[in-house]
Amino acid sequence: MSGFTDSNALSERVKAIPGGDMLMMCYSCGTCTSKCMIQTKLESSYNPRRLIREAVFNMDDAAFADKTIWLCTACDLCYPACPQKIHISGVINAVKALAVESGKKTPYQVAKVDELTCVACGLCVKICPYEAISLVEKRVAFRGTIPVASVDQGKCMACGMCTAACRSTSIRLAEDYNDAELIDTLLSWLGTERVSS
Amino acid sequence: MSETPKLVLFQCQWCLFAPADQEWVDTQLPENIHLAKVPCTGRINPLYLLNAVQSGADGVMVSGCLPEQCHFKTGNIAARRQLEEFSDYLNHIGYEQDRIRFLWLDLQDRGVIQKELAAFEAQITALGPAHNLATRVAETVGGANA
Amino acid sequence: MVDAARQPLIEVKTFTEVEKVEGYVGNFVVTLREKTKYVRADRCNGCGACTKACPVEIPNYFEMNLAPRKAAYIPMSQAVPLIYNIDMDACIHCYKCVEACGALEAIDFSMEDKLVEQEIGAIVVATGFSHFDPTPMTEYGYGRFPNVITAMEMERLNNSAGPTNGALIRPSDGKSPKQIAIINCVGSRDKRYNPSCSNFCCMYAIKNALLLKQMHPDTEISIYYIDIRTPSKGYEEFYDRARESGIRFIQGRPSEITEDPDTHQLFISSEDITLGKVIEREYDMVMLNQAAIPQPDQNHMSSVLNVAQSPGGWFMEYHPKLRPIDSPTDGIFFAGACQGPKDIPASVAQGSAAASRASRILHSDSWQIEPTVAVVWPDRCVSAKGQACGICARACPYGAIDYTKGLAAEVITAKCHGCGACVGECPHDSITQLHYTDAQVLAQIRTLLAVEPEKKILAFRCQWCSYGGADLAGTSHFEYSANERGLRVMCSARMDADLIYEAYRLGAGAILYSGCHPQDCHYITGQVVGAKRAARLEKIFERMQMSPGRFRVEWISAAEGDKYARVINEMQASLDAIPEDVLKAEIERLRPEMAKKLTKLDEIPGVAQALVQVDFIVNEMVGKEKVA
Ligand SMILES: Cc1cc2nc3c(=O)[nH]c(=O)nc-3n(C[C@H](O)[C@H](O)[C@H](O)COP(=O)(O)OP(=O)(O)OC[C@H]3O[C@@H](n4cnc5c(N)ncnc54)[C@H](O)[C@@H]3O)c2cc1C
Ligand code: SF4
Ligand code: SF4
Ligand code: SF4
Ligand code: SF4
Ligand code: SF4
Repeated sequence: MSGFTDSNALSERVKAIPGGDMLMMCYSCGTCTSKCMIQTKLESSYNPRRLIREAVFNMDDAAFADKTIWLCTACDLCYPACPQKIHISGVINAVKALAVESGKKTPYQVAKVDELTCVACGLCVKICPYEAISLVEKRVAFRGTIPVASVDQGKCMACGMCTAACRSTSIRLAEDYNDAELIDTLLSWLGTERVSS
Repeated sequence: MSETPKLVLFQCQWCLFAPADQEWVDTQLPENIHLAKVPCTGRINPLYLLNAVQSGADGVMVSGCLPEQCHFKTGNIAARRQLEEFSDYLNHIGYEQDRIRFLWLDLQDRGVIQKELAAFEAQITALGPAHNLATRVAETVGGANA
Repeated sequence: MVDAARQPLIEVKTFTEVEKVEGYVGNFVVTLREKTKYVRADRCNGCGACTKACPVEIPNYFEMNLAPRKAAYIPMSQAVPLIYNIDMDACIHCYKCVEACGALEAIDFSMEDKLVEQEIGAIVVATGFSHFDPTPMTEYGYGRFPNVITAMEMERLNNSAGPTNGALIRPSDGKSPKQIAIINCVGSRDKRYNPSCSNFCCMYAIKNALLLKQMHPDTEISIYYIDIRTPSKGYEEFYDRARESGIRFIQGRPSEITEDPDTHQLFISSEDITLGKVIEREYDMVMLNQAAIPQPDQNHMSSVLNVAQSPGGWFMEYHPKLRPIDSPTDGIFFAGACQGPKDIPASVAQGSAAASRASRILHSDSWQIEPTVAVVWPDRCVSAKGQACGICARACPYGAIDYTKGLAAEVITAKCHGCGACVGECPHDSITQLHYTDAQVLAQIRTLLAVEPEKKILAFRCQWCSYGGADLAGTSHFEYSANERGLRVMCSARMDADLIYEAYRLGAGAILYSGCHPQDCHYITGQVVGAKRAARLEKIFERMQMSPGRFRVEWISAAEGDKYARVINEMQASLDAIPEDVLKAEIERLRPEMAKKLTKLDEIPGVAQALVQVDFIVNEMVGKEKVA
């Protein structure tokens, strides 16, 4: 662990990123952790309070290995609840930015573009709440050099709004959750006999 | 002998803060209601609704978070815009608007989803079965988006 | 209060408000509004027939609105004096009470408020505190969920004389709660509402939990907290007892309370920090331990009494460590929570101390004050010559200057605290301050700038803050430029523009104008006067095209030794950045301009005259009858 005033220390680097500046004010009350539903619904190790603590104590390795940085969607439910008025997702995002800078990648799925069918209409670009999609000129097999949608892995939070917006079913989240499975189970249920009472 | 309507519930996985409510939806949903859990209502492709409607769902409920409480910032708003427009279209071709219900739940709500579902079911029962758009059966036609 | 009322030497005036406070230590004249009760004290025998007869029912404020009361009522059973009262806002003028009172004829609807003036030697302010209303914290559902109650409501519910005769019931269905949660720091330690700690609520939570546990051993009680603060003697042992008795302490601030709309059961969601896990627990009833906040009329009282408020709104003591009981105004003292949240032992201690501080005044024929008081030279004051002025009276934070057009301004010496704001502001140099006469300060300036003035940084420091900061820089061995020359006055308000012009005329390289941060000002609003003047001077020097960095204004507390050293070093650096010849040329260029600003300089008594002036002042003071 490096010293507290070392400008290379994690806490100092987090502070220097806009949004991360308030981190030292956290008194670890835990309000943010219980306001956020990720721990109870998705990932039991999720804990924004602990992540802030790791940053305060300059524990780079622990912070960068913490799943919290990849799962926070910056919904900011916790922000108005924090008694210290800390912009928690700002701090988390700052740590995430530093993790990405040091070469870490999200272990979670991100949206994937099917470049063979993408028509570069830009609907997904407009709807993505994280500004993760842009249209890029690209050489695509069989199609030549054409504009297609491209997803920034560091920004995509896997919400799937792009998949709902895409009119050519060219962008999708394949793992964990997929359209085919949802529709298949839906259709097979609807195909069953009506329940009578 | 009255027929129990078939209902499809599209539920955003974040909209029920109280663990007890989520557990109820996951395990105790009445048999005539099908749960299709989605990561966010913004994830609901209009094709999902179309598939449900065409295959004979008597009613569709979409439950998500309050606008300022979306886990993905704007997913619920985008969903409302896209799906409401689509339900207008369904209404136009004969699937009554009253058969699609959008629900916004507050973090602090508890025991609301059960009541809303019951009220919705009563409403659909009063409307009777939705036949006009049930153009196909699942066995004969595969999922359009599958 | 009943005991106090029995003391022959104590007159208790309830239902009475302080409207105005005039005068000064030992000689206050206080205007009191004795509010009418519409019941004559000399006739009412406290039988209560009026209450029985009154048909109006409204929520009873004293019972935290958990019970009703009539429009004819007594506020509480220990009321002093035990006289009934008609609440005119609720009364429907049916006169049933008058009928019920009958031959006693104690009820008189024609009575009116009375204004009385009273001569008072010393004032002890003990107006206490108020309670944060948790309604805005929607996450806790107070006001919407019937079984979420406040500490004050619990206090009444759990009181044998309370609305339920001490039966612990939950509001939604009258059942006795078996699972109770207490949430600490509701609205305190919360930057959204009150950032500070309310001091006694941790202990109150523990006491209340123990009390509930003793009376209802089958209840389970959980206390949610951020930190448990038990700093006084015996408190930690009390905390131990609570843990021993099975009270559950959960470290983790709840983020949400949800309610089952049918059963009104409550569910608290919080992180258990020690486990690092989010838990949801079910309760029958939840008590919110609400923040202590200043009284709603605290601002009004502070202007009536002319005492300052600390950040947060509490009354501000003269000095947080050395004079915690005195107000900045002589003869006014603080007792209890009005000066900051404190528990009963601390309130009682401060109350006793305030009483003895006050009795010092009551038992003395004369009163010693700080010797640095201001004195007007009547023959120089332009008001005496018929000009409208009164600048000094407006600057005085204590209202210690009597100004009437046509008469020389007059300092009420006993009220003067010696900040020198009037002295700094008077454009005619007609008012001065003992020990800090212009002559004395000028003598210092001239001495400090006698040799190579262009190399010097002349630092005006206020006695209480920046002087302390400089001191601390020294004792902490924070190095700063040796060219600094410090000079002390009582307050930044005393840093007369003339003194600054004169220092520049004499060729000072740079000048620091420093004092307290506004909230730390020792003289209520002295810093405000000083800061305004400093801002004026900054503009003037900018117009004169003075090189940047030669005039600097900084607010430095006595704890900021590092800042003092840094500021001086930065000033040295900006001085070094100006080439010597350029600086010297600038000083020469500005010398006549400074002199022009100093037309009255000749009139300022020279050093030799200082002693004569001091004699004048002393005679002036001793000759004053008014000194208490
Ligand atoms: C729920 C709760 C439980 C507590 N339990 C404990 C405990 O167990 N032990 C403990 O040590 N402390 C406890 N405290 C703290 C305790 O209440 C305070 O320490 C104490 O009341 C402070 O006393 P005080 O006389 O300064 O102020 P207060 O008790 O507030 O009294 C001030 C009085 O001044 C009157 N007043 C206000 N303004 C004016 C005005 N302008 N003119 C005339 N009169 C005015 C008010 O009506 C009031 O009667 C508790 C506090 C709360 C909220
Ligand atoms: S709510 Fe705020 S103070 Fe509390 S643990 Fe989270 S960031 Fe820290
Ligand atoms: S901003 Fe991040 S940590 Fe906060 S509630 Fe949303 S997802 Fe959770
Ligand atoms: S999944 Fe969501 S965050 Fe990712 S690219 Fe699509 S819209 Fe953007
Ligand atoms: S005394 Fe305890 S409960 Fe009260 S504000 Fe301070 S820490 Fe919170
Ligand atoms: S400011 Fe000076 S001149 Fe004006 S009234 Fe006061 S003492 Fe007299």
